[in-house]
Amino acid sequence: MPCKLFAQTDTTAKEEAKTFSPLIEFKSIQKSDNSVDLRASVKSKINGTLTTLAGYKIEFKEGPDSVAKKIGEAITDGRGVAIINCKPDQLTTDAEGKLNFKASFTGKDSIESGEEVLAVKRARLEITPVKDDSILNVKVKLMDLSTGTETPVDSTEVGVYVKRLFSALKLGAGTTDEAGEATIEVPSNLPGDDKGNLTLLARLDENETYGNLEASVMQPWGTPVSYEVKELPRALWSPHPPIWMLVTFVVLMTAVWGHYIVIIFELFRLRKEEPKTAV
Amino acid sequence: MELNSFQQKAFDQQKPTIEKFGRRTWGWTLFFLAWIGFGGYALYLQIADGHIVTGMRDNVVWGLYIANFIFFIGISYAGAVISGILHILKVEWRKPIIRIAEMITVIATLIGPVFILLCVGRFDRLHHLILYPRLQSPITWDVLAISTYFAGSVIFLYLALIKDFAIYRDAKLKVPKWRQKIYKALAIGYRGTPSQKKHIKISMNLMAIIIIPLAIIVHSVLSWIFGMTLRPGWHSTIFGPYFVLAAIYSGTGVLIMAMWVYRRMYKLYDYITDKHFIYLGYIMLVLGAAYGYFTFSEYLTGWFGSEKWENEVLHKLFSPSEYGWWFLFANVCGILLPIFTVAFPKTRKPGWIALASLFMVMAMWVKRYLIIVPTLESPLLPMQDTRMDYVHYSPTWVEWALTLAGIATFFLFFTLMSKFVTIIPISEFADKEKELIKEVSATTSKDSKVVPA
Repeated sequence: MPCKLFAQTDTTAKEEAKTFSPLIEFKSIQKSDNSVDLRASVKSKINGTLTTLAGYKIEFKEGPDSVAKKIGEAITDGRGVAIINCKPDQLTTDAEGKLNFKASFTGKDSIESGEEVLAVKRARLEITPVKDDSILNVKVKLMDLSTGTETPVDSTEVGVYVKRLFSALKLGAGTTDEAGEATIEVPSNLPGDDKGNLTLLARLDENETYGNLEASVMQPWGTPVSYEVKELPRALWSPHPPIWMLVTFVVLMTAVWGHYIVIIFELFRLRKEEPKTAV
Repeated sequence: MELNSFQQKAFDQQKPTIEKFGRRTWGWTLFFLAWIGFGGYALYLQIADGHIVTGMRDNVVWGLYIANFIFFIGISYAGAVISGILHILKVEWRKPIIRIAEMITVIATLIGPVFILLCVGRFDRLHHLILYPRLQSPITWDVLAISTYFAGSVIFLYLALIKDFAIYRDAKLKVPKWRQKIYKALAIGYRGTPSQKKHIKISMNLMAIIIIPLAIIVHSVLSWIFGMTLRPGWHSTIFGPYFVLAAIYSGTGVLIMAMWVYRRMYKLYDYITDKHFIYLGYIMLVLGAAYGYFTFSEYLTGWFGSEKWENEVLHKLFSPSEYGWWFLFANVCGILLPIFTVAFPKTRKPGWIALASLFMVMAMWVKRYLIIVPTLESPLLPMQDTRMDYVHYSPTWVEWALTLAGIATFFLFFTLMSKFVTIIPISEFADKEKELIKEVSATTSKDSKVVPA
């Protein structure tokens, strides 16, 4: 479950020492291969401006607070985000079947240290493509794994997305039934890669119990679109100027600078023709 | 080189000017340097703190600097077109004034583009203009056109100076040795042989021919930076010729003012005569009338179309609470005043013509400001940031300081050049000009101070 906090510090002392508290946003994304992505985003309000903190170390721990063990660390990127992937064998659940994580932010210079914890129930999302004649569907199944067995989760809304260049485009949403399943239709006219492949995603976002879950599958259900950069035509808007413009430019420049060259040549001749007796 | 009697007289009169720097010149030089120094401090602040120290914001991204840039490139026309045309037409009375005209061209072309640099926020990316030019961009055209124009102006001025450099070299002036060496080097062995004269003549004719279309292209390109933008008040088909005309017009005004100053300062009444002022006054009158016609045509078509955005700009220009008074000043002093001054015989005198030129040149500067700012204050899309300093442009002291520094640099270069070369070209006067000048001198008005030979 994502949450935000300001690290516990004395604000008066902070102002005196000119230090700033970090604002940590920490969330987990449970994948269909039973691994978990841990994502921590760090910002701080510096001189009234919310600033992303790039280049700071985040340490990730797994397990209940008393027995938490370090599972990795990452440096925040330009967006102030640090991500690690936890393999299934690194994960343990507590008595309630919950996964416990902690992100510890190592402060530096004027930025104070801070930490954030989260606890989510173990679960898995599965996505299965189903082609029924010309109708394209995906079946999404949500399973609770907290008890050690796979239990379907009903009455939960899941979304289906298609991966685009920068982010995912939502195609639709459905509510899981008693079997933990929901079926969502996929449009048949989506542009894919050069082979028509689409990456379809099923997502459960910011659920109170399970946090974030994600599953993906690739299917050749799209229209093939080649992203190969083609030679752009000569135009005002392209990198290549129109021929007439190039010709005009060359003619004008040659005419003018040609005159200059002729004049400089004339001056050289003038210099050569200086009478030697006059010196 | 041997000089005829008239050349000798002209040289003898001007020799002390280039031999001695003088207290007065030192005073002016230090005064201009102080201005420039103050501008340097303003520039330091602008670089250190960024463009926030100027009045330019998200909407009005061009202000005083660009107005100065267009103004200086405009007045550079004095040498290019006036000198070029008069040379081609073999107008004899041009000879005493061409050097002033060509000096205006070179100095103004040197200073104008500096204002572009002041307007550009990222000096560190300046070389990108050369490394990654985009031929379709009017900015690229401008960079190429102005640098080519500058090179041409320098060549034009130099060609006209070679013979005089030879005179300075042979005259054994009482100047430091380094200056004598410079004169010798710049004279490039000119001794006045027939073949050397021929080379100079060919070169001058070529330059006079090429400099005119070049100057027209340069100012047209400058106008297209505005004209090719879909903005009210800018997107106009007549902007090219309108800018060219305004440039020649303001260049003529600056030339008249410079003539008036030099005539008085160096007592050049024998050479820069009343006739010169009257002839240039006639040129100014014709240009003023044509410029007035273009101005009327430009605003009439905009107003008659009643297009929403165009009306918004026109409202700003005509509203007394916004730019109305400045607009009135630009048109009264920029169009009517020079025309009436020259049209009436009573005011057709050097002093009045020079005074009208001064007001006209100031009005032309205001006009450039009015082309840029009201349009930028009228964006096509609603303003995102409506803070007062974003909505209305108001130049800061930093911009004014740098503007004054630019003007001071212009005057400083003029002062220094007038101490390096004679303002009246010596070599240009052949014997036949002696008679011509005598004749012209005879027409000089009674109040003019004629220095006895």
